[in-house]
Amino acid sequence: MGHLATPILLMILASAALGVGMLVAGTLLGPSKPGAVKEMPYESGMDPVHDARRRFDVRFHLVAIAFVIFDVELLFLYPWAVANRHVEGLDAAVADGVTHRGVVFWGVMFFLLLVVLGLVYEWLRGVLRWR
Amino acid sequence: MILVLIKIVILLAGLMTAAAYFVLLERRIAAWVQDRQGPNRVGIPMTKIRLLGLGQPLADGLKFIFKEEYTPAHVDRRLFILAPITILTAALGVFAVIPFGSMLPPISSLSEKPIPLIVAPGIDVGMIFVFALSSISVYGVILGGWASNSKYSFLGGLRSSAQMIAYELPLGLGILGVVLATGSLRLEEIIEVQVTSGWFALTQPLGFLVFVVAGFAEAARLPFDLPEAEQELIGGYHTEYSGIKLLLFLVAEFLHMITASFLIVILFFGGWHLPFGLTGPDEPIGWGFAVFRILVFFFKISAVILFFMLVRWSWPRFRFDQLMSLAWKVMLPLGIVHLVFVATMAELHHYYGAQWVARMGGWATWAIAGCAWIFALGALGLAAACSPIISDNRPHTET
Repeated sequence: MGHLATPILLMILASAALGVGMLVAGTLLGPSKPGAVKEMPYESGMDPVHDARRRFDVRFHLVAIAFVIFDVELLFLYPWAVANRHVEGLDAAVADGVTHRGVVFWGVMFFLLLVVLGLVYEWLRGVLRWR
Repeated sequence: MILVLIKIVILLAGLMTAAAYFVLLERRIAAWVQDRQGPNRVGIPMTKIRLLGLGQPLADGLKFIFKEEYTPAHVDRRLFILAPITILTAALGVFAVIPFGSMLPPISSLSEKPIPLIVAPGIDVGMIFVFALSSISVYGVILGGWASNSKYSFLGGLRSSAQMIAYELPLGLGILGVVLATGSLRLEEIIEVQVTSGWFALTQPLGFLVFVVAGFAEAARLPFDLPEAEQELIGGYHTEYSGIKLLLFLVAEFLHMITASFLIVILFFGGWHLPFGLTGPDEPIGWGFAVFRILVFFFKISAVILFFMLVRWSWPRFRFDQLMSLAWKVMLPLGIVHLVFVATMAELHHYYGAQWVARMGGWATWAIAGCAWIFALGALGLAAACSPIISDNRPHTET
């Protein structure tokens, strides 16, 4: 049976194989009639001007950066969220005298405050503004 | 090992079939809403039997396969082909940790132990895995948009990737409340906990709302279907795709909706259990209960999918700036506020929970749910009162 995660690997491989298989089937079974018009990018019937990969609004980049920051911050919360109720989690640690419940709770609240401060800063700097 | 393979085959076949037939259902519902007939012709070929159009998905699939598989010359070939495979793999791979039923009794030729109806049982980080893979699907979108080398695809790819990453935050926040209340990231365990604690849709309404809205946005369903806003972007990031590659994109998008429905039912509607403790985890493992649970589970999922489809024909599309404002200025703060609320309640429950239950008896859960609803409505009201700042609909003046 192997490792606990082997089925996940198998599932992903099977999904990828399904996708590749469908592509191959489509390639084999479909007709092939290339043409000059088919080679052009679709631009509502106009002949395309310029390459499509041009400069784009920096806001998309800012959103991506903001996402990375907040997403990592949220990931930090998952261990706490699991440990808070788990049998071998926070209560066990409190019983061993490693920490207090209050320390953890107010620590997380302080962390959330920092997250909110980050969001407020972002908001005031106009990162979230689209026009 | 053979058991895992059987489960994978059943799951993949079931998902692809389900996606195909839900497309038919969606088209029939669209027709019903718009007062027309919809696809009702295709039945058994060579006969006149129509079967309510049940042959339609099969015909569509065959037609997709027999269409020309064309890769235009102006694209980045490798990425162009990689993109649909990536997005389909991510959309299907998520189901490795999502249960599609409870336990089956042992089948002697396959295993001596009861068979859990999940491809990878016992994965402790189930929810994290779901998030990880659903983030991968953003790659499919942006690769497709970039590789196409077409302006519509490029803009569509940018917009949808921005939308998907923006709504991943509320998605995570909506789940954090549930994780906090259950102390587990395993989906089977979250279902079991809801038997005693009540459905989280009732006890955590704000988190439910945030999660459902984010789920709609992640699945690119109608109020948030900007990735393929036909009137603005032709086809969005898959403008240049045709044939089977387009099919892969469309199937993946539909699978996102099915995934969202699974997660909504599992996390917030008690999975395969009936409400009010009518059924619980104590039932013996047998064929009867297994089938009954699967039926309940799939009934709930179908109801959520039906809701998705009705919403599609009920709301107009958001504008892009409104969409981003909603994600960052409404859903993210609401999610954080909800998390603080749940954490505080959990802390109070730890210190005063026993006294509380002793005084209130059976009403304790209802009282907590009531608090949560009052809080949720208050937070929503506050968000609505602030809405002139949050979702200013007037054209911005340059400052």
